[in-house]
Amino acid sequence: MSKPIRIALTKGRLEKDTVGLLEKLGFDCTAVREKGRKLILPVPDANLEVVLAKANDVITYVEHGVCDMGVVGKDTIMEMKGKFFELVDLGFGRCKFALATKKGYDFYSGYGIKTIATKYPNVARSFFEKKGMDTEIIKIEGSVELAPLLELADGIVDIVETGTTLKENGLEVIEDVAPISARLIVNTVSLKMRQAEIEKLIKLIEENL
Amino acid sequence: MRNYDLITPEGTKDLLFGECIIRRKIENTLLELFKSRGYSEMITPGLEFYDVFNLNSRYFPQENLYKLTDSKGRLLVMRPDSTMPIARVVATRLRDAVLPLKLCYDQTVYRTEPALKGRSDEIVQTGIELIGSQLKIADLEVISTAVDSMKAIGMEFSLEIGHIGIFKELVGRLEATDKEKERIRKLIENKNFPALNDLLDTFGSNHITDALKKLPALFGGAEVFEKAEELMPDENIKRLLDELREIYEDAAELCGNDGNITVDLGLVNKTDYYTGLIIKGYLEGHGDEVISGGRYDKLISEFGYDIPAIGFAVNVNAICKVVEKSGIFPAVPSPDAIVFAESGCEVEALRTAQELREQGEVVEMALFDDLESVREYAKERKIGKVVVIDGENEEEEA
Repeated sequence: MSKPIRIALTKGRLEKDTVGLLEKLGFDCTAVREKGRKLILPVPDANLEVVLAKANDVITYVEHGVCDMGVVGKDTIMEMKGKFFELVDLGFGRCKFALATKKGYDFYSGYGIKTIATKYPNVARSFFEKKGMDTEIIKIEGSVELAPLLELADGIVDIVETGTTLKENGLEVIEDVAPISARLIVNTVSLKMRQAEIEKLIKLIEENL
Repeated sequence: MRNYDLITPEGTKDLLFGECIIRRKIENTLLELFKSRGYSEMITPGLEFYDVFNLNSRYFPQENLYKLTDSKGRLLVMRPDSTMPIARVVATRLRDAVLPLKLCYDQTVYRTEPALKGRSDEIVQTGIELIGSQLKIADLEVISTAVDSMKAIGMEFSLEIGHIGIFKELVGRLEATDKEKERIRKLIENKNFPALNDLLDTFGSNHITDALKKLPALFGGAEVFEKAEELMPDENIKRLLDELREIYEDAAELCGNDGNITVDLGLVNKTDYYTGLIIKGYLEGHGDEVISGGRYDKLISEFGYDIPAIGFAVNVNAICKVVEKSGIFPAVPSPDAIVFAESGCEVEALRTAQELREQGEVVEMALFDDLESVREYAKERKIGKVVVIDGENEEEEA
């Protein structure tokens, strides 16, 4: 049998959803389910090798071609960019990027430059650039909701799933930035060098979404 | 205080010994191959005026260029590409030269890559440019040179062709703004089917949108042409497809069993100045293309000389990486002999060393004042023979 196809999965929820999908296709994912501390795991009957990584690293590994494919959120793709094929919208991991402010705050009023706190500076910058709006972007690593509460920022650009955290902290979404879901990405050379195998797998995945 | 005196800038590195042997071997193999096919080498300056790269079409975004100023305050860049400087030379000093011109080069290009991504800012490219012919035989000559380059490197390869004209013709028939066309191009480049379908649905459903939707899926072997044929809305585009098919068939024949020839109608990269045929080369074990090229019939006219051209460049760094990973790293050869001169015999020793070199040996002079140190050094460096010159008889030790 040829060398297995390596697929990098974003650790956490996307990993679980993807493993669920692979099992639905009829592949035995026991090794991945009982992984312990291992980071590279075989799915022998699919000739796959699963690599578990953080979201940003999934893109890095796929770009360099050390993993042939990857499952990663559109949020990470929008923030990181990069050279790869974004072949399939897997449909799970749905949420959105949104602009939120303190409840009742009139974000677009006045001529002062607005300050935005975010974990996704590139996403925030390109959103306001498209509006032709100059903003000051501050990168925050942890709970971004704090920034407007502490009056460091006028608003935040962040991932919103249910909106509960926002509500509990007196914030509200004032505008959607972009929808998010998990994507199947493929290295540009792998798709060409291993076309038949990868296309077969993708067809199977698309039929089972 | 100096902080950076012991390291090199991000995206650069020193090459030592075996790494140099690999790189020079690849460069020389390619250059010799090109020269044997009648290409003449040229070298352009490492520094160019920014204007050379700031043409109407802005192929290189300014944020990706290394910039500096000359003594008059004019903006210079470190060459990010060899084709545009060559186009400049063709449009000026070579304007009256006999056509077609066959040029080759082997030089470094500089681009700022995003930090901490493991990419190199300094890339050696060895390539060819064939200027002044629009004939099919010119396309084929360049493809066959690319095939031979890959064969000469001696690893499993895949050569891919495409035709940017097909996309340009299709999107040109769509009633879309330039911004929308650019978004369509980007989505086709990324083979982002879901977003591409959504965007094209806003233009209604017709032959053109159907063909554009399928374009990124049209890659693979000969079967691609059958599938594409039905999708092409008119004779003009079908003609482009037929041209490509002929080239594909000839290229596959040239390549034989040594490699794989494929086609991808979704090759629509933005930074390219290409107008027709596109060429890419891939090696097993490298995540990005190692050959990149194509036809650029409008580029030289931006320098005031309207003349067609086609060419490609091999990314030598990428090939070095694959060779190094493959483990066939060549050992750095040790010298054959070392010559030690007793005090007062230096001239004679230097002469003896030269005589040995003329017999084809690699010979070092010993740079110690006692024989014991020479023997130790020779052992360390794996030099098999120590020659001692003491003014009387020549002594050889194995």
